[in-house]
Amino acid sequence: MPWFFKGLVSIAAIGLPVLAVSQPAGGYIGWLDKGDGDWQASKARLQAFGEQFDSSWALYEYLSAQADGGERLSWQDMAEPAYDWSGIYTRTGGGLSFDPDSRGNQLSAQLTPAGAAARQRKIDQLAATGGEYDPLSDCSPPSFPRWTTEPFLKEYVVTPDQTWLINEMVNDVRRIYTDGRAHTLPADAYPSPNGDSIGFWHDGMLVVHTTYLIAGQYQRGTQPDYSDQVEVVERIKKVDPITLEADYWVFDPVNLAEPWYTRQSWTKLANDDHFLRIRYWNCSENQNNDIIIRDDGTSQFPDFDFVEDDAAVSTDEAVSGAQP
Amino acid sequence: MKRATAIFLTTGLLGCLGTAAAHHSATMFDPTKMIELTGVVKEFQYTNPHSWLLVDVTNEDGSVTTWGFEAEGPSTLMRAGIRLSTLPPGTEITIRGNPMKDGRPAAAWIDATVDGERINPRNGFAVVPAAN
Repeated sequence: MPWFFKGLVSIAAIGLPVLAVSQPAGGYIGWLDKGDGDWQASKARLQAFGEQFDSSWALYEYLSAQADGGERLSWQDMAEPAYDWSGIYTRTGGGLSFDPDSRGNQLSAQLTPAGAAARQRKIDQLAATGGEYDPLSDCSPPSFPRWTTEPFLKEYVVTPDQTWLINEMVNDVRRIYTDGRAHTLPADAYPSPNGDSIGFWHDGMLVVHTTYLIAGQYQRGTQPDYSDQVEVVERIKKVDPITLEADYWVFDPVNLAEPWYTRQSWTKLANDDHFLRIRYWNCSENQNNDIIIRDDGTSQFPDFDFVEDDAAVSTDEAVSGAQP
Repeated sequence: MKRATAIFLTTGLLGCLGTAAAHHSATMFDPTKMIELTGVVKEFQYTNPHSWLLVDVTNEDGSVTTWGFEAEGPSTLMRAGIRLSTLPPGTEITIRGNPMKDGRPAAAWIDATVDGERINPRNGFAVVPAAN
């Protein structure tokens, strides 16, 4: 979204007249259950719905208008099954594909020429070297929206004013503010891995808008990149006692020719003995997990604590170069 | 301690097994090769983002080499039924993995046999849902 528009929205949020909201052809589309009818047809409808908005904020504003601004939850509401998101979850499926319906090199996103060229560079790198260096190797956070694809444990905490979406990996928390606040004013905002998220509740869905993000990649391998202009609208819903699903519309004018719609899903894991829990994730506790980047853009272990002289044993010059 | 048993297999089919790598690419491991070693657990480094199982393996000449086998972090191992207490030091183990390309004694841990029971760290990625 252009900065000036965000500014106007922020002004609106503090009491000045609200801008007109876009009206898509075909009208509002509420939650579509994957189990009802032809999911691919439903997915195409949701993709087309998102394409009618020229910005993530226009889509979010439209959804907000349809919900009359959304419902403010109370602590009493937390007892309702729709808002009880307790438990340990993990991604239901999809491997490292951002779109869980895609496999291998399949891609449902419509890329711009720049986005396609960036993805081709990744493909060429993989073909040339068989691997790549992942920025996660220094234990930087994956950043949103890649956050969604990480395959480890997740935990969700709903409160009336905030919802916390917790990723075990690198102790990573997304905070969704549902107390009616606006986004940080543009003049005071700065990009960060999980950005700035505000939301509202409607019909059992947590509707979220996220902006002020950093550039990244949806995942390793052949998944595309996103720019620091990426913004996301989500609708997260508990669809049964053990499943959370979410509509995602990702907007990125640099890499995406159209918003990228996907349906994400997380499954509550069996944990009868309560052994699974979110524990601290410390990337620096074991030197054997240190990673260096090689000249060909791939990664290597520099120094194992169980090898007396790595440089003497290894045939890789990168290892010799990394030795003190 | 059992004598080291090292079996190197080379097959393109093994490439489909992939290697354990969540925070780094797997290019340091050779997915076309599989090693199988028998030894005793020296240490289980049960850490994020990856765990390392160190196994002392006695070579044909009587010397001992410590091998490191990399697997996912604790929560994924727990989901595979592999707890820290599963592999205390001194445990006899036969373990398989994709070895490092550069010759160092390390591998991506594929599976293992302990007391006749097969354990597989990759089973931790299976999604076992809670009861409704």
